[in-house]
Amino acid sequence: MKRRISSIGLICLLILTSGLFAQNKDENISPQRKQAIDSLALEKVRDLSKYISIIGNKSTPWSESQRVIERAVELFMENSEIGVSSLSKPDVAYFKVREYFDRLMKLNYDRVTIDWYKIQYVSDLERQPDGTYVGVITIYQRFQGFDKEKGMIYEDTTKKDITVYVKRKETQIGGRLIGFWDVLLGDIRVKETSK
Amino acid sequence: MTGIIQKIKSLQWQHFVFILMIVAVAIGSDGCKTTGKMSKKERKAQIELAKSQLTEIINGTCTRPLEAQERTVNEIANKHFKDPELDKMIEDARQVLKKAFAEKEKQKQEQIDATRAELLDMLLNKDDKSADELEAELAKIKAMNLGNKDINDLISKVEQKIDGMRNKKNVPLKNQIENAFQGIADASRSGNASQVMSLTRNTLQLFSSEDATVLIIISKEGSIVDYDKPTTIKRYLEFVRDQKASRNEVDTYQLDREGKIKELDLIKK
Repeated sequence: MKRRISSIGLICLLILTSGLFAQNKDENISPQRKQAIDSLALEKVRDLSKYISIIGNKSTPWSESQRVIERAVELFMENSEIGVSSLSKPDVAYFKVREYFDRLMKLNYDRVTIDWYKIQYVSDLERQPDGTYVGVITIYQRFQGFDKEKGMIYEDTTKKDITVYVKRKETQIGGRLIGFWDVLLGDIRVKETSK
Repeated sequence: MTGIIQKIKSLQWQHFVFILMIVAVAIGSDGCKTTGKMSKKERKAQIELAKSQLTEIINGTCTRPLEAQERTVNEIANKHFKDPELDKMIEDARQVLKKAFAEKEKQKQEQIDATRAELLDMLLNKDDKSADELEAELAKIKAMNLGNKDINDLISKVEQKIDGMRNKKNVPLKNQIENAFQGIADASRSGNASQVMSLTRNTLQLFSSEDATVLIIISKEGSIVDYDKPTTIKRYLEFVRDQKASRNEVDTYQLDREGKIKELDLIKK
């Protein structure tokens, strides 16, 4: 009985120490690795900006928009929200990610252009106690809505903050243990809107 | 009078025969020149022959090429037999030949259209035929000698494609993949949807399946390799298309037993 207890104890100790070791390994990531993760998160935001352009583009076929919406939604954490502002309304409306993209696709303009620029960290990725890295990336969005006859009928520039969550995960692929960084976007909050 | 008789008697008989022959020849040649006509019997025979030839043409039983038949009709018409029945037959034969030429032209156009479609299929190579198979098909088309500019242009393009396919075999797989990624990104940027689809389809053929794993290395430090979230080749090609950019190059790949890629590792450029 004593031997059994000591064996279980030994296994527990091994699991604990390996867990600590793994945690330690992630905690002490080198500046080069950290930079790679920072870049990866920025890249995901840039990917999102392309997806938004495609979804907002009136010439994108419906089926293609649906596919791209799926890819865009996958970039976000569940239940994330995106803020929508307008020069004509003082309040910011928040929509669940999928609803936001659906609305974006159906915007009542003949043509829409959406450009994101000045994509940069406003708050660096910081390691949280659970091992997740959290940071905030700010972007500027220029929105232009066009009418077939009148030309551009609406334009604004919005500064938005995007919370990013980056967590190291592992998976087995073809007998190999792969360590990957899972980047997920959180809420996109409107900071300011101007003409 | 007796003087004349004496003179005649003095002529040798050989001289007489000679003079007679000259007179006969002169009379004979003057006759052909002046009349220029064949005998009635000969004319009748020629008309009968012409009618027989025209009947074959009108009934469509003549096996000679249309051009030769047309020549025959013109030759008959040029003889101007002035036979009402024959003239009617000449007109009928001309109508028959006109229709036959039109039908021949129509058939040729149909053949050109069908061949054009065949060549376009060969360019797309939807059935994934080998260079040898395409070349064999092309040889048959070339043998038709359609003499059409469009067809000749398409033949040149298929020849280029076949050459490309043969050369492709010599290009390392790594370069083939990277070229394909860049090609998709470029085609997407220029809005060429059909080229994007075609390149995507061809690229997927290099892989064991659409779900072949694609790993993207974001950092390598000693034994520690950091990856982006794993994806599949189908989704990665869609990603390249959506982002209109190819940001990664091939690091390594693993092939299955059939020589197709089952796992692809990319690394940031």
